Amino acid sequence: MTNETSAAPMTTVNFMTWVKDNLPVVVVSVFSIILFVLVGLKGGAPQVFNVLVTGGMWALLATGLALVFGVMNIPHFAHGESFMVGAYVAYFTFTPINKFFLTTGSKFLIYSGPILAIIAAGLAGCVLGIIIERIIFAPLRHRTKEGWVMNAFLLTVGLSFILVNGTTLTLGPNFRGIPRYFDVPSLEFMGAFIAVDRIVATVIALITIGSLWFFLRQTKTGRAIRAVSQDETGAQLVGIDLDFIQTLTFSLATGTAAISGASLLFMFQAYPTVGLTPLYFAWYVVMLVGLGNVAGAIVGGFIVALLQSATQLFIGLSWQSVVPTVVMILVLILAPSGIFGSEVKGVQEQ
Amino acid sequence: MLELKKLDSGYDFLQVLWDVSLTVEDGEFIALIGPNGSGKSTTLRTIAGLIKPMSGDILFNGESIKNKPPHIISRMGISYVSEALNLFTDMSVQENLMLGAYAVKEKETQLNTLDYIYELFPRLKERKDQLAGTMSGGERKMLAIARGMMSNPTLMLVDEPSLGLQPNLTYDVFAALLKLVKQGVTILLVEQNVNATLDITDRAYILEQGKIVMSGLSRDMKANEHVRNAYLGI
Amino acid sequence: MNSTATYEEKGTAWGKFVSFLNKIGFSPLGFFLLIILALLPNFYPFSEEYIVRWLIMGAFLAAQAVAFDFTAGYINIVNFGFAALLGLGAYTSGIFANTTPFLLFAPGLNPWLTIWLGAIMAGLVGFVLGILTLRLRGIFAAVMAWFVGIALMGLVNNLTELTRGPLGMNPVKFIETPNNLPYFYIILAMMVMIYVVLKLVVGSNIGLAFKAIGQNPDAARASGINPTKYLVFNFTLSAFFAGLLGGFYAHFFGSLTPSTLMHTSKTVEVLAIAYIGGRGSLWGGVTIAFPFVFFIEFLRSNLSSLPGLHLVIYGVLMVTIMIYYPAGFSGFYFWTVAKVKTLIKKNK
Repeated sequence: MTNETSAAPMTTVNFMTWVKDNLPVVVVSVFSIILFVLVGLKGGAPQVFNVLVTGGMWALLATGLALVFGVMNIPHFAHGESFMVGAYVAYFTFTPINKFFLTTGSKFLIYSGPILAIIAAGLAGCVLGIIIERIIFAPLRHRTKEGWVMNAFLLTVGLSFILVNGTTLTLGPNFRGIPRYFDVPSLEFMGAFIAVDRIVATVIALITIGSLWFFLRQTKTGRAIRAVSQDETGAQLVGIDLDFIQTLTFSLATGTAAISGASLLFMFQAYPTVGLTPLYFAWYVVMLVGLGNVAGAIVGGFIVALLQSATQLFIGLSWQSVVPTVVMILVLILAPSGIFGSEVKGVQEQ
Repeated sequence: MLELKKLDSGYDFLQVLWDVSLTVEDGEFIALIGPNGSGKSTTLRTIAGLIKPMSGDILFNGESIKNKPPHIISRMGISYVSEALNLFTDMSVQENLMLGAYAVKEKETQLNTLDYIYELFPRLKERKDQLAGTMSGGERKMLAIARGMMSNPTLMLVDEPSLGLQPNLTYDVFAALLKLVKQGVTILLVEQNVNATLDITDRAYILEQGKIVMSGLSRDMKANEHVRNAYLGI
Repeated sequence: MNSTATYEEKGTAWGKFVSFLNKIGFSPLGFFLLIILALLPNFYPFSEEYIVRWLIMGAFLAAQAVAFDFTAGYINIVNFGFAALLGLGAYTSGIFANTTPFLLFAPGLNPWLTIWLGAIMAGLVGFVLGILTLRLRGIFAAVMAWFVGIALMGLVNNLTELTRGPLGMNPVKFIETPNNLPYFYIILAMMVMIYVVLKLVVGSNIGLAFKAIGQNPDAARASGINPTKYLVFNFTLSAFFAGLLGGFYAHFFGSLTPSTLMHTSKTVEVLAIAYIGGRGSLWGGVTIAFPFVFFIEFLRSNLSSLPGLHLVIYGVLMVTIMIYYPAGFSGFYFWTVAKVKTLIKKNK
């Protein structure tokens, strides 16, 4: 397309065929722009910022889902539990550190508390990912690849069950939360007050996505991950250790989900089933853009957040999960492989 | 260098190879020929570690590799250019080539090999930023062979490089393989184009219905009655 | 052991009885166990009220596992909205039987009638779900069913004039009795009915078509099977029975909230039982459900300080079985029977 546009001005006929070929993308883009304008008009800057915060987080979660599906062919149902683990680790790291620093009193140290908590959550997530991959998926992978997608999916369902109830068992069902990470006044932005926590969460989401993107595109190991997602046999033939790449991928996905759980601790709190809502929304995103489409997941995160915000503004808070669900059902009916029509292996398999 | 000892192999319950033994000496250019479905590709896939043999042994430089995973075998210096090519279709030509050198540690060696490959296949250099999936069949084949060479292998297993190629491109590919052999790379070549293959290789094995039925010097093979009847159509 | 003898006694009264049993899906052993189960609450200690309640919960779970396995084990689609369909039946029945004027709608119909309305309602949604999942396979069908389930649950949560939303509603009971025993026989009858009906279906040509579609939809289509018809039929029937069981739940427990009934985790409980019991057998889940409920309730009553332990055990068992023994309990049973038979043959 780029060549055509630079060589000669695009004619209407040209444009129409392009629209026709990319109908789902066009429809969704137009729809999103209209929604964005409406949300902006009605909700103003706070709502727009809300879309950015949640969108960034859904994008981060969905990237992990897309990566795990693309590389390992696992439809990951326990992704929300990585979010949950991140929230808990952040809580248990942040609370004592904060208490300690509050008594000792250095301002700078107080501000480092949240960052330490989020880093700790990310590391814990990575370790958890390695453990899970080694004890659950590696044995199944080595035993049989038959009916892999479905079996792996059911395994993640069982895993989610274990993690949620194991947490209830050890930590109890009660909420553990913090009022805020940064005890500073909100910043004024275009007449609206926006909490610093939200700004930090957005920045962290963008940095994490950015680093992940850089890692996948520009490093040798990142290229190996993409190679495995494109051709497993080819990857083995050039000397890539599949087991290593798959464990790494799973660990990365779990780690990034834990980071999002940690940086949203002030919004969601930590409790055993906290991961369910993020899981829904991350799944909406990957279903919208096509399973396994990492780049699409980033865009999709913001679209879904927008849809959520719009529902909340125009229909009512309690419909926040119903309307996006119905939209996703429509997407599944009209474009089952997502609006970008991803051609990831295994999509139409059992 | 490579020795197959009474190798049985196949898929699940379907045995394809029966008691296959063959040896490849250092620096040799060996052909493995036979009709469709005789198990030529299965032999190469088994050596590359993509299929686990049922019994028998595979020795590479005296070491058994039959239970090693494919990536280890690749790192030991065996490069398999498969019939399906197994390219990374959503990556550029250069990315594909650099991944071919995945196991090579030194950046300098990688870049030197890359330069050499571009010299050998100028067409790939022209297209270095193009996505592998958008190239023509001949170019993809070139790329697969080039990628296989990027790891500086000591043994290359090449599966049907001429399949679906125009004659002039086939000639290029064979020329490239000969060049490799001159540089000391050992090659085990599976080919349908028996006439040309016997012209360029040193020795040949004939595989029929999963069994080695004949072996010898390529030029002797060309004169053999059975080979002439069955494969050369003379 | 009985089954080996009966082959030589065809034509006798016993032989005819056995072949009748086989037709409705029972081995003599299975039938014997069923009779024992039916008589069980008349003997101490099983006559204790709390144990009868456990038996009821066992039968309820067992019946759900049968209806779930009908889809998962045959056409190989995991209906992730199963609990939501069950909840839909429960709410529909509860609303039609409602007598409280606080709610928008209080027709006060007899619960014996309304459970069928609930079943029909769930069946209708199952029909729609069947049509929606037609073009989808494997994971996509599961996700579709999951989304529909979430949407249904959200709907029930939001239609507060009908359902009181998250506060929950209290449907009338079938029978006003302090005794659990009548309810045990109701759910046992439902369980047997569901099992026999579904077993008759899968034992017919339709069952063969299901299996063909489940293994390879394209090949099934190529050999002249119309997947549309069978898929939709399967979903409808499974959802119908889920709705019926929901009706039982509503008028037995007398309390409905969306999150305890329609939540995805409820589907997962049924899924775990069906998988541990063995896919594609229908009866595997039944044999597992009873000991499971007993084990879990025992844990719950004795280790009340450890909430969620039973669910962790569920999960661990399910994951272990899926990795190492995917055939489940029914697979193990068939394997044992085959082993015993070859042993007997050798000794002869």
